[in-house]
Amino acid sequence: MLSLTNCISKKSSLLWKPLTSGRLFSSLASYKYALRHSTFNDPTISLRRHPKAINFYKSQVRSFSSTLTTFHGHLNPPKPGEELHITFVLKDGEQKTFEVSEGDSLLDIAQAHNLDMEGACGGSCACSTCHVIVDPDYIDALPEPEDDENDMLDLAYGLTETSRLGCQVKMSKEVEGLRVALPAMTRNVSNNDFSNN
Amino acid sequence: MMPNFLRSLSTTCNNRDIQRKTISIVGSGPSGFYTAYRLLSKSKIPIKVTLWEKLPVPFGLSRYGVAPDHPEVKNCEETFTSIANEYQKDNGLHDFQFIGNRTIGKDIPLKDLIEKQDAVILSYGCMGDKKLNIPGEKDTNGVFSSRQFVNWYNGHPEYSTSKVFSNFDWSRIKNVGIIGNGNVALDIARVLLSNNIGELWDKTDISPLAMKCLNQAPIKNVKIIARRDFVHSKFTNKELRELWELERYGIFGSISKKYFQLGNLNISNLSRPMKRTAEMCYEYLKPFNERTKKSYKKYQPLVNVGETQRKTWELDYLKTPTSIKRDSNGNITALELFENNITEDNRVIPMKDHVINYDMDLLITSLGYEAKPMDEFKELGIQFEHGHIANVEGRVQNQEGIIVPGLYTAGWVKHGSKGVIAATMMDAFNVADGILADLETFPSKPSVEQDISFLADNKVEKVSWSDWESLNNYELLQGTNQGKVRAKVLTVPEMLAHKHQKPSY
Repeated sequence: MLSLTNCISKKSSLLWKPLTSGRLFSSLASYKYALRHSTFNDPTISLRRHPKAINFYKSQVRSFSSTLTTFHGHLNPPKPGEELHITFVLKDGEQKTFEVSEGDSLLDIAQAHNLDMEGACGGSCACSTCHVIVDPDYIDALPEPEDDENDMLDLAYGLTETSRLGCQVKMSKEVEGLRVALPAMTRNVSNNDFSNN
Repeated sequence: MMPNFLRSLSTTCNNRDIQRKTISIVGSGPSGFYTAYRLLSKSKIPIKVTLWEKLPVPFGLSRYGVAPDHPEVKNCEETFTSIANEYQKDNGLHDFQFIGNRTIGKDIPLKDLIEKQDAVILSYGCMGDKKLNIPGEKDTNGVFSSRQFVNWYNGHPEYSTSKVFSNFDWSRIKNVGIIGNGNVALDIARVLLSNNIGELWDKTDISPLAMKCLNQAPIKNVKIIARRDFVHSKFTNKELRELWELERYGIFGSISKKYFQLGNLNISNLSRPMKRTAEMCYEYLKPFNERTKKSYKKYQPLVNVGETQRKTWELDYLKTPTSIKRDSNGNITALELFENNITEDNRVIPMKDHVINYDMDLLITSLGYEAKPMDEFKELGIQFEHGHIANVEGRVQNQEGIIVPGLYTAGWVKHGSKGVIAATMMDAFNVADGILADLETFPSKPSVEQDISFLADNKVEKVSWSDWESLNNYELLQGTNQGKVRAKVLTVPEMLAHKHQKPSY
């Protein structure tokens, strides 16, 4: 368990250190690193979130979320009683939780709520601009990525072992309470970054 | 009488009264358009973006570089279109205009733009080719650069009707060599090997003129030749997988054991993409029934293919081309190469006593695109070195290394011809964010002109965004009629003629 009390002042610029030369971070370490440096509005929330703890989660969620914003884009609001929840950890460490429907893709959810996530190929799994880092507690509950998704993840910046493409991850009951982080995109780009291998 | 608040509202909406910072972007490919997109969607102060394009059509390498059978990669054009449509109405905070068929540095001096605008972004990409610089490269029939070849089959107006291609005798092309193994090389290999497979190409917007030529070529083998070894391959896994998966049509790949054996690789030292590349090659080189993962058993290979139909491709490594052999008609017959050694510290050493020859009817050099300086750079003191504009995070430097205020660069002319569209996008965003940070600090230039479209008023036709929209609709409609995603208009005169006709459909 990570201590949350001393993490509030750290700034987000340290959030996601880019990978160099394709080396992998340990996913758990990098995810925790990210969370450690993020700002929590409610430090009583436990970091480790297991689907079983969902009732506790639901009872706390509104304290740091901006649920029920106006839906735009092409998302259908969830039917009453069938709401699923997803939390995005943004680049500055802010967390946003939304009530969504089963089957919504993370890219659609992010774009419908104006989060900073691009879908350069329009969600057709042909680029890596909707890269998200999944909380390791949830990664096994998601279906394995297909080859085409892995081929694009090869090219993602700041790749971790729990990286996925937002356009390919769909909400389901199995991942209720899912938490994902957006990797920092704005950073100094050098020539090396554009090498394909 | 109009109530006061309404009047003030209507003036706000009336664009002419907003003093906007003015920004010109040179080149409307992904880097230019993504820069425009970021500026327009993030700027808090009013801006007017003018996007200049030398062709009558936008999108640069998305339209003319991305392979026709990768339409999903071109979806970024939808983002570009939506931003152009949103801001060209000129009724909000920002304004956007597209001026096509105008070459900055030729029709309009770059100097004029710099004087009349708060910021100028050079994102005109790469207009040249890296060369082998070996005998026969320039003047042998059947030797093309990848840029020429790709532009030709993608219907680029400067190449689509080129005699170099249409007069070439495609009916005798059996053995092909491609120098370089980036994704462009693999795209070209795929087009050459599979162009007569209708289900792969019929619905695409590949140039019908190029298809007619390529369909005549009885291609047997395509060698993809690299200077370095397997672990330094430049392609990405998506493109490699597409080549392997062509086995379902009787098109088979190979890699010599000399260059690839899983046991010889130090797997734990490889990057994730290269690990996956190695696994993919290892599995696909095995007979279908011995493969372990379902990924490599998606399609049953077409093994009962007649010897005449069977085609092969081969990844070849550690070679340095030295000269091109030709017959008395000037047609290529063979390529001479040295075998290379690669040292521990990654240096390539050609072995001059290990000379080999490959018989070859067509050679395509795919060494990367090369950025060129504009003629005006010298006069303006802009530094161009190592194949790109000298810059610090997109801020252009002069010959003393000092940043030129208000001048920026993005995309391949900024850092060389590397990276997929996602990388170009992030780079463009970074440059745009830098511009936005700078803009607020700039004092307004006395000479800045809100509307510089008059610069483009000379006798040659200019193309507006709505002209392009109309041409776009025409191409899409023609495409639908022919059962394709799009039928490109292939020449500049036809593109411009369309502007006047504006046919009803």
